[in-house]
Amino acid sequence: MSEPIVNPTRLVLLGINHNTAPIEVRERLAIPATRLADATRTLAHQPGIREALILSTCNRVEFLTLQDSVPNTTSAPEPTQNPGILSFLNDYLSIPSTTLHPHLYEYREREAVRHLFRVASSLDSMVVGEPQILGQVKESYTVAREVGAVSSHLEALLQRTFTVAKKVRTETQIGSSSVSIASVAVDLARKIFGSLEGKTVLLVGAGKMSELAARHLIQHGATSILVCNRTQERAAALAASFLNSSISTAVIPFDTLYEQAHRADIVITSTGASQQLFTRTHGQQFLQRRRNRPMFFIDIAVPRDVDPRINEVEGCFVYDIDDLQQVAQANLADRGREAAAAEDIITSEVTKFHARLDARSAVPAILALQQSAAAIREAELTRSAKHFTGLTPAQQQAVEALTRSLTAKLLHPQLIALRKSDLPPDSEK
Amino acid sequence: MSLLWLRVAVLLYGVAALAVLPAALASSPANARPRWRQLSIAATIAAILFHFVSLAETFQASHHALQIESHETLALSGLILALAFLLVYWRYKTVALGIFILPICFLLGLVPAFRPGQETALPLLNTGLIFLHVALLLAAYAALVLSLLASLLYLIQERRLKHKAPSLPWLPPLETIDQIALKTLLFGLPCMTTGLLLGSLIAQQTYGPTYFRDPKILLAFAMWLAYCGMIFIRRHSGLRGRRAVYLSSFVFFVVLTVWAANQFSAVHRFTAP
Repeated sequence: MSEPIVNPTRLVLLGINHNTAPIEVRERLAIPATRLADATRTLAHQPGIREALILSTCNRVEFLTLQDSVPNTTSAPEPTQNPGILSFLNDYLSIPSTTLHPHLYEYREREAVRHLFRVASSLDSMVVGEPQILGQVKESYTVAREVGAVSSHLEALLQRTFTVAKKVRTETQIGSSSVSIASVAVDLARKIFGSLEGKTVLLVGAGKMSELAARHLIQHGATSILVCNRTQERAAALAASFLNSSISTAVIPFDTLYEQAHRADIVITSTGASQQLFTRTHGQQFLQRRRNRPMFFIDIAVPRDVDPRINEVEGCFVYDIDDLQQVAQANLADRGREAAAAEDIITSEVTKFHARLDARSAVPAILALQQSAAAIREAELTRSAKHFTGLTPAQQQAVEALTRSLTAKLLHPQLIALRKSDLPPDSEK
Repeated sequence: MSLLWLRVAVLLYGVAALAVLPAALASSPANARPRWRQLSIAATIAAILFHFVSLAETFQASHHALQIESHETLALSGLILALAFLLVYWRYKTVALGIFILPICFLLGLVPAFRPGQETALPLLNTGLIFLHVALLLAAYAALVLSLLASLLYLIQERRLKHKAPSLPWLPPLETIDQIALKTLLFGLPCMTTGLLLGSLIAQQTYGPTYFRDPKILLAFAMWLAYCGMIFIRRHSGLRGRRAVYLSSFVFFVVLTVWAANQFSAVHRFTAP
């Protein structure tokens, strides 16, 4: 049996995510924020691990480590080849490796860097382009730094990761379009009203989806919420849930809905009514009372609460759940196209990052060569010192300069060759 | 020398008109847009400055005489439109109107800059008041053009939203467009009122009451009434969309009629003899 080949690669990323593991496995491995510092410290103290970072979100748990050395593998990842992480999983998280093995992925060196760049840039997310992941990577980094689990190598890698993620976000439009129903509704409202500052939202029905949409609208500036529901108590409870110092809320009795609906700029309907609540005539009446100021109906109910013909009334805009989903799907497709551009950026950045690392790795050899040459030069000068006694100080300085110059010129081709040998082939172009 | 500055200004209007296209319409790299927008706005500002220099030199060289109904009026219209575009950009941070306004500025300056006409100064017009009269009325016309364009943009945005078509990122929100349409009209009203009053004052001093029986002058006051009526209707009924475009188009047609009426006027004809 041959010995495993030990190579100098040291960066290892091991993890599971929403593509490789079901929620039942992810939740067993998930590390809550309160335990993250302790878990990171423990991982960093495992044998063979120099630096460590743990990224734990609802969609992924990943362990990024800098290890003394790891055996080279060309087959699927074997947890037994990462004894540090393995013992951490066993001892700290009490999860046997056999449970995780089918779901684990492992990346090393260049591929680990690429994976980290992709994760932070939200290319590996369940919803490509979502903005939260970068913040989560930054939080993990802050924790790891606080417990001393990150130093020079991971520090440089993570700083580069944040720069790359920012570059992807600014140079592509990967995160610019909304892909959830609630955020699409907000986008449409902003297309109509511009700023939502001071806008009034009417919720008809007390569904979860409409509540979520209303909260999004509040986040973007809406300041007044009216709630109308057949059950007055539910309406009051929902209205109370929105109440804070900057939001005004009111409950509208269901039988006065048509008298008061025109007060709202945005109407979100999600009742279980079998018949349409708002007809074209209602739309015309509302617009007349609003002196033609636009009104936006977001109809999340199935069957629909709003007659689609209201859309024919000038100033009234109606979007039902299918319309919103179509916009979200189109935006998602746009993100897919932008992701291709983002992948190109990441490929280029991975190459650049490794070029820098390689250049750094040549530095000790260059220094050693220079020091050795300097020592030889000084030794030879000392040995020949007796022959220089008759020289004037100026002549002695000239000899000194001559030897320095000769040494530098003799070393020059070797130093150039050393630097070039450490750069990737395309970096010279 | 003034012609040289005008040519520089016109070329800069051209640069601004080209740069505003990617600034407003580009859909790829988000960070490319600010650069184009900055270029477009900077070129517009520079063009306006050169245009002012050219205007001041012309004014100085002609010993404060004016060339009414000459190409200079066209160039002045371009300058005022460019200023109006900058004002809208400063207030609403949108360059969408520049897609239409900046090429108009370029075209309005093209003939005066590269095919200058006969510059004949009329002694009668040797007054700053006439210049103010013309400039204020041109400002009112520019406001109307901007309002009409904004109403058309409103129509496009409204139709896209109603038909659930993919949104055009360069189009401002409906309420912003509506505000631009209304505010420009409100800005134009005092300009038109003051411009007409100044014209009346000068005419009263020069020709006496007979001046006011001229069809051109009567049409000008009808235009003012139409302008006031349009603002009243828009403000009090909240008129938007298609009907607002119809109304603005009607008033614009009246303005064009008033402009063209110079040819039929017995007293308001200031072309070179």
